[in-house]
Amino acid sequence: MFLTRFRVNTARPGARRLLSSPQALHAAVMSSFPSLLPSDSSAPDGPRVLWRLDHNTRAEVMLYIVSPTQPDLTHLVEQAGWPAAATDPDTPGWQSKPYTPLLDHLAVGDTWAFRLTANPVHHIRRKDDEPRKRTAHLTPIHQMAWLLDRQERGGFRILEKPDSKRLLPGGTTHRQQEHHGDRYELSVRDRRDLSFDKSRGQNLSRRRPVSLVTVTFDGRLEVSDPDALRRTLTQGLGKAKAYGCGLMTLASLPGGG
Amino acid sequence: MSVLTLRLAGPLQSWGASARFTRRTTESAPTKSGVIGMLAAAAGIERGDDTELARLGALRYGVRIDQPGSRVRDFQTAHHPVTGKSMPLSERFYLADAVFVAALEGDRALLTELHAALRAPVYAPYLGRRSCPPALPIELGLHDGTTPLRQVLQDEPWQAAPWYRRQRRRDATVSLAVLREADEHEDHADVLRDQPLSFAADHRRHALRSIIGDTVEVPNPAAVPTRSAPRHDPFDALEEESARCS
Repeated sequence: MFLTRFRVNTARPGARRLLSSPQALHAAVMSSFPSLLPSDSSAPDGPRVLWRLDHNTRAEVMLYIVSPTQPDLTHLVEQAGWPAAATDPDTPGWQSKPYTPLLDHLAVGDTWAFRLTANPVHHIRRKDDEPRKRTAHLTPIHQMAWLLDRQERGGFRILEKPDSKRLLPGGTTHRQQEHHGDRYELSVRDRRDLSFDKSRGQNLSRRRPVSLVTVTFDGRLEVSDPDALRRTLTQGLGKAKAYGCGLMTLASLPGGG
Repeated sequence: MSVLTLRLAGPLQSWGASARFTRRTTESAPTKSGVIGMLAAAAGIERGDDTELARLGALRYGVRIDQPGSRVRDFQTAHHPVTGKSMPLSERFYLADAVFVAALEGDRALLTELHAALRAPVYAPYLGRRSCPPALPIELGLHDGTTPLRQVLQDEPWQAAPWYRRQRRRDATVSLAVLREADEHEDHADVLRDQPLSFAADHRRHALRSIIGDTVEVPNPAAVPTRSAPRHDPFDALEEESARCS
């Protein structure tokens, strides 16, 4: 497995085209794997290509890719990077590193900082005789609950805050009801309501935009099941993995995790 | 030595130090003579009583500019109410929407007396001119003990109006200008003729006073933390990993 980082040059028209449509960016990411053909059908629970955009500031937009093979992002550098700087072999325009050593060293009890951009959804019906439909979670409380629901299967446990850092001591409301809003080392931010066309220019009558709600989770976790976490990190979490969702990355904790 | 602090806030203020005749200017901060005059009025000291005034004039004075306000020019025409003859054209300058914290350092008994006088004034206090009433209670507090004037002006919370604080919400602290009386050993002081000697109606007299300009950093209670993304670098974990392997 490889972890790749590419900084998007937001001043370029090509970057704006890619950033405005997850569909276009997904196509560009998938084109960076020369051995991966669109006609290939991958194994349903094998490692896959995952990507994520980190909008840290207006002009600091990072594209992270986790993939089974090493990508070649030359076309992205040409369209949305710094091609002149990339002629120097020291700065090829993107960084790619083997991810397997980190995955192999995951052990029970390790603590990490994590970031995950996901598409939290559930399936609901409004009336009894209606089919259930996939519906986005819109409030941070529900979005957090969505992630907390998946932590055990994902092989990690989100750390709880010490009482001194909580606004609600004991993690309960004043009526002593459990409330996760302030209990965990977890924040939800950067909600994006995306709506984009899946195909461009053809058959206007069939054009219905894809709409997605994505949020970015930041927090701290403890590894509870290394195998399950390895699967989470390489196969993604949740829906809309083709549209920049589901990629979780780990970083060492500031205090030396 | 104690310190008495005052909050001077109002829609209009006017603090003249060198105004004469029909052009009545204002300094950008309250003058010592203006503030001492206000305290003397609150304590009920009559205009000709120079010995009582000398006790007040001996206090050390400092002022912090919490909200500078803007200068307003009032071009005034008036006619005599009886004869109908026109009065001289005059220009009056005011500070609009300004807030200051003034501090007086000196004898504890005198300051306690003045503090009580501000709560039950003999003559109502005003901000430099009779037409400029204060918008908020003037007295802030009496600081007993050894805290020097500069420290008191540093510790006093920011008194600016909420709308003004919100404009500075990106700053965790604000730096405020302080104009205080110079110590003996300090040179490079400015001088201003606002040390009151006499408020006698027929002949007011002021002496020169030396002033040191300074700034203090005060926390901003309206500051909101910047909502930038937390730092997250997945590559630092990889580097640590490779360092551990090698």
